[in-house]
Amino acid sequence: MPTAMTELPDPRQARTFRFVACDYAQGEAVLRYAFDDGPELVERLRFPGAPVPDGAHAQAFRRALRLLHLLAGVSYYKAGATPELAIEGAGVDGATLDLLRAVYTHGLAEFAYRNGLDLRGRMHWRVQTAAAVAAPALGLPARTLVPIGGGKDSLVAIEALRTIGAECTAAWVGNSPLIAACAARTGLPELNIERTLAPELFAYNRMGAWNGHVPVTAVNSAILACAAILYGHDSIAFANERSASSATLEYDGQQVNHQWSKGWDFERDFARLVRRTVASDLHYCSLLRPYAELAITRTFAKLPQYFEVFSSCNRNFRILGPQPSDRWCGQCPKCHFVFLALAPFLPKPRLLAIFGRNLLDDDTQSAGFDALLEYRDHKPFECVGEGAEARAAMAALARRPEWREDALVARFRSEILAQLDAGALALGPWLTPQGAHGVPARLRAALDFLRA
Amino acid sequence: MSEPLPLPVSAPWIVLKFGGTSVSTTARWKTIRDLAAARRAEGARVLVVVSALSGMTDTLKGVCAELDVTQRLAVWARIESRHAALAAALGLAPEAAWRTQLQSLHALLTQAASAQGALPWQAAVMAHGELLSSALGADFLGAHWLDARGVLHAHAQPNQSERVQRLSATLETAPDAAVAAALAQRGEVLITQGFIARDAAGATVLLGRGGSDTSAAHFGALLRAARVEIWTDVAGMFSANPRQVADARLLRQLDYEEAQEIATTGAKVLHPRCLAPLRAPRVPLWIKDTERPALDGTVIGAEAVSASPSVKALSMRKGITLVAMESIGMWQQVGFLADVFAQFKRHGLSVDLIGSAETNVTVSLDSTENLLDSDALAALAADLARVCRVKVIAPCAAITLVGRGMRSMLHRLEGLLAELGSQRVHLISQSSNNLNLTFVVDEAVADALLPRLHALLLHSGALRADDVALFGPSWQALYAPAPAAQPAPWWRGARARLLDAAARATPRYIYHLPTVRARARALRALGAVDRWHYALKANPHPALLSALDAEGFGLECVAPGELDAARAAAPRAPRLFTPNFAPRADYAAALDAGELVTLDALHPLQQWGALFAAREIGLRVDLGSGVGHHEKVRTGGSASKFGLPLTDLAEFLALARRIGARVVLLHAHLGSGVLDATHWPGVYAQLASLGERIGTLRALNIGGGLGLPQRAGEQPLDLAALDAGLGEIKRAYPQFELWMEPGRFLVAEAGVLLARVTQLKSKDARAYLGVDAGMHTLLRPALYGARHGIVNLTRLGAPADALYQIVGPICESGDVLGNDRRMPVAQEGDVVLIEHAGAYGAAMASNYNLRGLPVEEVFE
Repeated sequence: MPTAMTELPDPRQARTFRFVACDYAQGEAVLRYAFDDGPELVERLRFPGAPVPDGAHAQAFRRALRLLHLLAGVSYYKAGATPELAIEGAGVDGATLDLLRAVYTHGLAEFAYRNGLDLRGRMHWRVQTAAAVAAPALGLPARTLVPIGGGKDSLVAIEALRTIGAECTAAWVGNSPLIAACAARTGLPELNIERTLAPELFAYNRMGAWNGHVPVTAVNSAILACAAILYGHDSIAFANERSASSATLEYDGQQVNHQWSKGWDFERDFARLVRRTVASDLHYCSLLRPYAELAITRTFAKLPQYFEVFSSCNRNFRILGPQPSDRWCGQCPKCHFVFLALAPFLPKPRLLAIFGRNLLDDDTQSAGFDALLEYRDHKPFECVGEGAEARAAMAALARRPEWREDALVARFRSEILAQLDAGALALGPWLTPQGAHGVPARLRAALDFLRA
Repeated sequence: MSEPLPLPVSAPWIVLKFGGTSVSTTARWKTIRDLAAARRAEGARVLVVVSALSGMTDTLKGVCAELDVTQRLAVWARIESRHAALAAALGLAPEAAWRTQLQSLHALLTQAASAQGALPWQAAVMAHGELLSSALGADFLGAHWLDARGVLHAHAQPNQSERVQRLSATLETAPDAAVAAALAQRGEVLITQGFIARDAAGATVLLGRGGSDTSAAHFGALLRAARVEIWTDVAGMFSANPRQVADARLLRQLDYEEAQEIATTGAKVLHPRCLAPLRAPRVPLWIKDTERPALDGTVIGAEAVSASPSVKALSMRKGITLVAMESIGMWQQVGFLADVFAQFKRHGLSVDLIGSAETNVTVSLDSTENLLDSDALAALAADLARVCRVKVIAPCAAITLVGRGMRSMLHRLEGLLAELGSQRVHLISQSSNNLNLTFVVDEAVADALLPRLHALLLHSGALRADDVALFGPSWQALYAPAPAAQPAPWWRGARARLLDAAARATPRYIYHLPTVRARARALRALGAVDRWHYALKANPHPALLSALDAEGFGLECVAPGELDAARAAAPRAPRLFTPNFAPRADYAAALDAGELVTLDALHPLQQWGALFAAREIGLRVDLGSGVGHHEKVRTGGSASKFGLPLTDLAEFLALARRIGARVVLLHAHLGSGVLDATHWPGVYAQLASLGERIGTLRALNIGGGLGLPQRAGEQPLDLAALDAGLGEIKRAYPQFELWMEPGRFLVAEAGVLLARVTQLKSKDARAYLGVDAGMHTLLRPALYGARHGIVNLTRLGAPADALYQIVGPICESGDVLGNDRRMPVAQEGDVVLIEHAGAYGAAMASNYNLRGLPVEEVFE
């Protein structure tokens, strides 16, 4: 049994979470944190083959790295959820502090709900206030970093950008054979950034420290902002969609959204902060923001080159195998949703070949699909579409003779359909763009790829 | 060597067909020359049919799609140099007949495809692969070169598209003595092309996939050959796809119908359409391995050997879609089914299997592009929905048993049916020809199911692998890399000592500690596993416990008595306590003693929560499927009493959190006697992904169940592959320690049971050998049907002239230690040794019939 770890002090007893320092040398960024006077928690990121930044680029990179240090702390802070957070070293401007407060409260809202904590009244930031710097333009090349995740969304974003001839790099953080396989299938240049968490974090978890969901997209966004400066890209195009902005539930008067850092509020504020404080010509956006899940699945259905490599399932083991069951667990909300959202747009046998089984003809999955439909249960804590969208997809299947007798579709027809507002079940409204987005002018034409 | 005498006109023909890999190297061409000479020496005329050099057909297909003539000629240059290199290696003159074929290909490639119409041009280009290889071969063999297009004629079928007529044409052939006589005039050894023929207008056409085999079959029929030999890279057809079932057996003898059924339902070695032309003229077809010409291979012919019925093969097709049509009172209406099937025809979907009941007809559709990528199925369902309720069931796999006389074997399928009974079987189909029995199941379970069903067919005797007229060796015996030679068992070097010990008292267990240590060290060498435990229920003898403690093993206990034994023999060894349905007091005592307790139900936390407050606990989950060599050793799946169902996991964790118990260990153990090294990485991966959701987790215990070969032909567990598979997952989940807990694997071989012969009896031609050990001494044969090797130690090495049933002295008809064992003729007082008795032997012994417990002794 591991023993050395038991000497670590319990972070839940600590008073202060400290942002100690961050450094960068020879392609490696080092982020340091600590609880009170406990051991330093050191996270490392490797940027492979990164050129050495100089001049204005070096300064912009320092600012991006600082932002990353402050945002990546959220993974460690949660272990103790201390009442105080102390940012050491240089001061922080007001806009940055506002974003930090948002990320550490909204981004940890699900964590707080699950652990029965109230962070809103609890977090006190100890920091020197600094004046805001106005970041200059760096003349960044017209290239786009596209974070790729192994799921359908980033693949749709990549193919959309391809239609306008945009120069792209497929980027991802961490070691994932699934993502590597998807990236290889795109044929784009690849950038794989290694991230090594401080080993003490695992030890804290084993000790029973606080644990739960963190806003990982916020951290990855900051990592890619560093990468954009280092390797020279003028834009970062995520593939977060419209429904990521809606809350999964309300708890004690607070909106809890599992995908908060994939939502519009974070995108807008982070993009603005990057332009103001990192480089005024670095554009951060989500290409798919105006689109709902169903518009994306409809587009993805036309990209058969990815059917045998992609997976949105984050519960299944991430080692690639030749069988569908190696990529799709078939049990989790992501599997349920992607299956349901693709079903209206693919020939049934083709869809079933992707998943290797028919999730809608399996009685044991009824609770999972009920949660998606927001029938009797709340929305699951996963990155999945809105309940109304799932209901529209299910209603479409209920009208289709090749689907309507499947166990869960038949159950939907007999038990659920009559209770729903028939006027709100059309697919059409989900297929058109809607609402605000931050896609820069240079890339905007790519949005047309998702139109019918 | 003198020239053979010229053959008479009436000499029979033998057709030899060789595929791409067989015509690509000098060594293989020499094999072809030897085989042709051997057939000629039998007194037969020889027709050699060849494919193109390997990869050449794809190259030519690619060049047809190339519009740029310069690019085409660049490919031509590579084709030229490849054939020139082979010609040089074969020692052929540089300017030989094959050069003419190259020139004709060059001429075609410089033309625009539209000059002749794209499809005829494409067929003419692609024909050059075979034209070239056969021309090279004619030169090398000194054989007469025959243009297949002068002999094989394609016939357009009424519903065929032009593409099919040109590139996947249909031949119609009947024996033709005139053609045979004309070819006999040309020479005694002829060589010709596979894959090509001509149509009624004289244009070149291709025969599609499996085209060369088809050509050979048609030549065989035309010439009414003595036989057609298909030379390929496997020994023949097997009782299952060897890639899925390594234990699949070579099929030595099949009749045409059986072979057709197997080829159609999944086997890839022979294209199903090769058999039709040979059936009427009764020309036998042999399948042979070019690498191993001495192997018998598969013989397909009219005369089935006389044998009792046997299942011959288990085949599987995936990607099946079922359409179930439900209606009341309509089936008896005239024309209803005709109308329904007309819809399938209208949407271009062909029906394969059919099952029907009074109110339901279910049919299967094969996976085709039309099904997968068009709206055909949706349109069909919409049309059918007007007259009945339609349900589309997919993805499915059709598992087919093939064998003549299937219905007379049903009683042997009990085990197979029980296994299928635990799956969703959507359709069962059996047609009146009595050749097949098909089960349609969910595709997701099919891969794992197939090897289990094959093993059940073997063990039940439904697939009579013991009949050497029908079945040959297993695929793994033929092709798997030979395992390192197994060292002789330890007891062979200790015979005198064992006989001495047996003279003192029997029945007697002997445990050989050096063998235990060797096994322990082999496991400790696996780098991926952080901690090993010995599951001491297998054998709690103190000498074994302290020996394994010395080798660094912890001890896994399932009852308070086992904990006592562990503490007494190895006080410092780490312990795990993993009871099942144990009373509260067991948990309380173990927790008080500081043991790491693993729970596998909600009940203890729900009812006795206070016991576990502030404790570290383990959790055993049921991953939902069991494995193992016998139903009674499977410990996963809903039919097993072990493990927490995954649906209760969230509740268990919530309860643990409420109580303040910390789940530090996650455990699963799915069964025993597993020889497949990929099993544990699968369990590990599932546990690790579950474990990610349990923040307090330190370690994953993936159980034991490491198997030992029990039957001839079984390969031992590949420990290096196991370590590599575990290591791959460990790199993805470095935060968890990996623990394992084998039992039997460590101690089984170290133990032998010595017994003495009591009485001999013959009854209805069966010979019984009675010994003083029985089911009270060694229960495994009676309980699990386990097979233990049995030898007469007194007469070790004497000829095995007798066939014995080895039985014990207990008043139970199940008191049998071994059936049908070939051994030397025995006498009263002989010492009999029973192998692999170190695990679950003495540990399960009882005093039944008040015969007392066996003696145990340890050998250093």
